[in-house]
Amino acid sequence: MKGAIPYLRRGIQAVSFFFLLYLILKTAFPLELKIPVDLYLRLDPFIGIITILTKKDVILRMLPAFAVLLLVMIFGNFFCGWFCPMGSTIDFFDRILFREKKRAKSFDDQPLRRLRYGVFFFSIVAGLMTFQVMYLLDPISLITRTLVISFYPPAIFIFNYFLPQIQSFLPKNPFFVSSIPLPVFKVNLFIFVMFIVILALGVVRKRFWCRYLCPLGTLFSVFSRLRIFRRSVTDDCTQCQQCVRDCPVGAIPTEVPQHCRQQDCVSCFKCLECPPEAVSFKFGFPIWRTMNGVNLSRRYVLGSLAFGFFSALVIKTNPLQTESGLMNNRLIRPPGALPEEEFVSVCTGCGECLKVCPNNALQSTLLEAGLAGLYTPRLVPRIGYCEEFCNFCGRVCPTEAIRPLPVEEKRLIQIGVAHINKTRCIAWDTDKICLVCNEQCSYHAIVGDDKKRPIVKEEKCTGCGICENKCPVDGESAIIVYSFGAQKKLKPEASNNNTKSG
Amino acid sequence: MDRFPRKKVTRRQFIKNAAAAIAMSPLFSDKTFFYYSLAHAAEEADLVIAKNGSPPQLLQAAMAPLGGMGRFVKKGQRVVIKANIAWARTPEQACTNNPELLSALIKMCYQAGAKRVAVWDHTCDNYQFTFSRSGLKEAAQKAGADIFSGHGQNVYKQVEVPKGKKLKRAEVLRDVLEGDVFINFPIPKHHFATELTLGLKNLIGIVWDMEQLHRIDLHQCIADINTVRKPDLVVVDAIRILTTNGPKGPGKTEDISEVIASTDLVAVDAYCASFFKHPKTGKPFKPEEIRFVKNAYDLGLGQIDLSKVSVKKVRAT
Repeated sequence: MKGAIPYLRRGIQAVSFFFLLYLILKTAFPLELKIPVDLYLRLDPFIGIITILTKKDVILRMLPAFAVLLLVMIFGNFFCGWFCPMGSTIDFFDRILFREKKRAKSFDDQPLRRLRYGVFFFSIVAGLMTFQVMYLLDPISLITRTLVISFYPPAIFIFNYFLPQIQSFLPKNPFFVSSIPLPVFKVNLFIFVMFIVILALGVVRKRFWCRYLCPLGTLFSVFSRLRIFRRSVTDDCTQCQQCVRDCPVGAIPTEVPQHCRQQDCVSCFKCLECPPEAVSFKFGFPIWRTMNGVNLSRRYVLGSLAFGFFSALVIKTNPLQTESGLMNNRLIRPPGALPEEEFVSVCTGCGECLKVCPNNALQSTLLEAGLAGLYTPRLVPRIGYCEEFCNFCGRVCPTEAIRPLPVEEKRLIQIGVAHINKTRCIAWDTDKICLVCNEQCSYHAIVGDDKKRPIVKEEKCTGCGICENKCPVDGESAIIVYSFGAQKKLKPEASNNNTKSG
Repeated sequence: MDRFPRKKVTRRQFIKNAAAAIAMSPLFSDKTFFYYSLAHAAEEADLVIAKNGSPPQLLQAAMAPLGGMGRFVKKGQRVVIKANIAWARTPEQACTNNPELLSALIKMCYQAGAKRVAVWDHTCDNYQFTFSRSGLKEAAQKAGADIFSGHGQNVYKQVEVPKGKKLKRAEVLRDVLEGDVFINFPIPKHHFATELTLGLKNLIGIVWDMEQLHRIDLHQCIADINTVRKPDLVVVDAIRILTTNGPKGPGKTEDISEVIASTDLVAVDAYCASFFKHPKTGKPFKPEEIRFVKNAYDLGLGQIDLSKVSVKKVRAT
């Protein structure tokens, strides 16, 4: 029984990871899955608490997160060791890459263990002010974002590469299937590098990220201190130190292996492989006392709070922040997005909307929205346009930074207005007939004059960007969508469908 | 062109195959099968206009004087239908083909013995939304056909356009080039840039880089691209047409309730132009007023003068 537990745990970790992968792959066109595709993000209490603080409102979608938090309070931290997809990935790579590493002596990691509380305070203070660093570090958002932005496009690339080869092996099928349009994301390299760095930290210690940096783990740590399901050691303990070495989070102190820091323990049950079988897990009364805990001095806490405060101030006073976030008129937010300042404080940058967008129109920002809006979605019409009858981005957003609007309402949200650059436009510049923009426009917002040259009717234009996307001019389009502050809803057009004219 | 590699037939295999053929034979003794094979003999007209009736009836009626589907589709052939599924609009808005008619057309091809029918279009809106909103994916798949969208460049093939005046090379759907039978299945619509969208214009949807054609010269390119592969059959879906705000709509629609079948694409377009009124004169369009039809006639793709074509009008019911 005891011997099966590590295999069971690895199995559940793998299932959890592949389930996330499955949900991400299902974050696509029909979107008819019974379970929400952003399930993992909705179960993340760190995001749940932060978004309540930043939005000053309870987000109904995030309520399951508090059930997880409650379970953690009662039974201890089971999430990190068993279910966290980021933890599974780190465990996997630690196992295959850094396995043989023999550590001569376990070094005293107290200063490092303190680090994650410092990071936690720093990111919360900075985040509540401007700099959304906590979303960048949240493990669920991080792994979703990494998989979507850095790993999904290469996967499609490989699929498309092998598609013709596979088809040539199928002589019975004389018809060819189109390859999937390759999704492209501008910031994939940065996100990839961050992911690799996190994995490479495993060189220093196993699960370095989880032990010393992860804010969600810190939150669980704080809440699982009074757990009732605890490790207990009998007098048979011979102080052989095996559990101390094996513990993936270093929760067992070297001097007194009979004890363990209950808040750090991730319930992986690795210490059950005890040679004298002295270790067991039992239900018991919660105890507040802990051995060899972190030394969170007042100076340290205040220091990290102050650091967060001042870094937020520095970012706030940077011209990049004051101008590009609110005044960059090429920064088009997805339809239904909250007002800019609120949007960047609620959006976790998880990349779900980027994955679901059928035209690959949504892209992560790097600095276009300032540092505060790092990795938030924006519409880049030259890459893709906003599909008229699609409201998927709002439906998958876990924090409702993009509001879930019904299709009929969404298609009338004005996210920008198109402008024609007459010096580049084929119809205005030459005598050729083009009018691709007029042909593509779903809202009759582009009309042709008597010489068949396009003119934009601003009151009808929603800024969906299909004109900019399809414009046949090379390079920069001759018709460009600019945003202008807040989104608003247009009046529905007079319905002239099916009016018979004779 | 060795599509059926020769194999040695052993006696055992021969007996097996013969037994299978005998077992299968009731399938082909269906009445409709004979109906079409008999109808093959009669080729009464080059352009047939069918009126009055439901979409399947109209198609039946339009095809019979041409010689039936059996004239075009032989047993075991691969049929490619170029439909118009460009926009994410509902069937009532008449921006895409009528699903019932498409379904009837596919079934007719299968009855004539087609091995496989593929419906293609390079959609303008996102293909997933287009296919589901237009109801054509469901209709095609229920009728047993494969429906494909040309959203990936791997399904295209670069070809020279030797007869093209302005368009010298283009990337064209490989299946259209290599299919045994090619059916052009357009819906006439208003089009702001080219006045009308007809059968000739429908073939823009087999090109990969459609927007580039606007840069060269749209009217001439429409005519040029039609020289790449002449459709074996043209079936025009004029059950309901879009008369304003074309090609994407939604605009005013008009119920014509006609199905036109022909082998001459230019003649079809010349006829269909008369459904629409010229915005300036208010009179029905003359074929010569649509530049791409004129250009196609100049390239020798068909007859623009309907008096020189044997036209037959039939009533479906």
